[in-house]
Amino acid sequence: MHGRKIAVRKIFFYMVLVSCSIIWVAPILIAFDKSFMINGLKNYWFVLTYEKIKYYQVIANSMIVAVSCAFIVGLVTTLGGYAFSKMHFRGNNILYLMILSCLAVPVAAVTMPLFVTIKRMHLIDTRLGLIIPLVAFNAPMMLMMVKNYFDSIPNELLESAKIDGASSLSVYRHIMMPLSGPILANVLVLTFIYTWNDYLIPLLVVRTNPRYTVTLAAQYFMSTTFQSPTDVARIYAAMLLLTVPSIIVYLFSQKYLQAGITAGAVKG
Amino acid sequence: MKKLKTDKVAYVYILPITICSLAFIYYCIFFTVYSSFTDWNGMSSQMNFIGLNNYTKLFQDKTFYIALKNNVIFFFGTVFVQAVLGFFLAVILKEKLPGTNVFKTIYFMPIAMATSVITGIFRILLNPTTGAINTFFRAIGLKALALSWLGNPRLSLFSVICVNIFQWMGFSMIIYYAALMALPEDVYESAKMEGAGFWRVLVSITFPMVKNTTSLLIVLGIVGSLKTFDIVKLLTNGGPGRSSTVLNTYLYEKAFTNFAAGEAASIGICILALAMLMSLIQLKIGKDK
Repeated sequence: MHGRKIAVRKIFFYMVLVSCSIIWVAPILIAFDKSFMINGLKNYWFVLTYEKIKYYQVIANSMIVAVSCAFIVGLVTTLGGYAFSKMHFRGNNILYLMILSCLAVPVAAVTMPLFVTIKRMHLIDTRLGLIIPLVAFNAPMMLMMVKNYFDSIPNELLESAKIDGASSLSVYRHIMMPLSGPILANVLVLTFIYTWNDYLIPLLVVRTNPRYTVTLAAQYFMSTTFQSPTDVARIYAAMLLLTVPSIIVYLFSQKYLQAGITAGAVKG
Repeated sequence: MKKLKTDKVAYVYILPITICSLAFIYYCIFFTVYSSFTDWNGMSSQMNFIGLNNYTKLFQDKTFYIALKNNVIFFFGTVFVQAVLGFFLAVILKEKLPGTNVFKTIYFMPIAMATSVITGIFRILLNPTTGAINTFFRAIGLKALALSWLGNPRLSLFSVICVNIFQWMGFSMIIYYAALMALPEDVYESAKMEGAGFWRVLVSITFPMVKNTTSLLIVLGIVGSLKTFDIVKLLTNGGPGRSSTVLNTYLYEKAFTNFAAGEAASIGICILALAMLMSLIQLKIGKDK
């Protein structure tokens, strides 16, 4: 009787899980299926050899921007997190709170000033012009995660090193960094995914096709072509090709991405 | 009495993040505040001070209220469904049935995909004549449901909400999942001992225990709704008419189509004020935990 009840419940659980999975997988499976319509693999070839938007260039642009952002954010947040968590200095709390309050600032709310600032720095249509605002808007959340993590590292560990005469830089390099492996992985993966997927900042900064990122290329493919069956197949092929790199990163690092999302949301 | 020594070197460590994040963002905010009191067009360097004109104009602007209303609808539509579905799936995933990780990977995957790619796929799926969704409805004999999802002003916002749920449900799920894993197991054991059934445990034990997570998701949902831009811009561009216009797309339109950067800035300030308020509440919830 009891065992049967558990079995029934298990079947019910699987039904829920499977039917939700169907809804979640269907759009991608349909896109995959339809991407071979009419011309088969040639649709992919069409996207890969498209003249105006060069696929490899788009991927390279996004890759360079996202990897640079991840490393810069990783560096500035571990440096800053170390100081905010382990050092005493005037303005510690107020500066940290000021950075934290940037968490909720929507980029869209400050679009025009952001655009003009990048323009005045003569960085329109450059990779650096993308990297600077992306780092700026992603760093606060990552700093919060890193600081929370550093707070859990016992101070005694640092004290003993300091008594041995270690400089703050060597404490950072030989104690904080080796211990920050898990949180650093979260920060790197999360920043990579967020910057890779960002649309508004490239929309503001990028002007010419050779600088297009993945998100702009996706918009280009979906808006410039009409929805004839051939176009549909090619758009699907383009969407899938553009999303493959981030899905690969996701599949290999989902543990860190999920942990990062949780850490970024739950702790305040 | 132990006096704490000040580490002057700390300023060197916080310098990079202070320059690239704090200074940059606050500069943009102050620039927005300042330009919201001017007639700036965004292109020229001419900025004439016009006091509160942009704000009085904004508060009489019908479209602003439509956008605000759409943001509220968007918030309720997305947060409620995402939370309920996310919670329920998290509860099931916690049972650790074989294959759990595969399901988790599937539900969470859209978060790793760019919104522009997801909207690109959905714009074709939602096409009223050739799209797979309407083809499916016709095939199962529900012709009445084969609607113009993005072209009908009464449905466009609903469709945007659905696509947003598709992309972000995994977020609520993973947050609930983490909260559930942190719950003490003995509460369940004693409930089971007393013969409480699955639904009973779910409603009267599990759900109340993750109350903080739920309020956190609500606050994050408001902030998220205030950040909403890509999905609306790419899926409907705020249309048809004003039916799916949200604050951010309206601001963007003001700034880059109407060249009214001053007015756009006044919308930006309203968004910022709401967002700041919400993040204060979020920090409070985080501390209470």
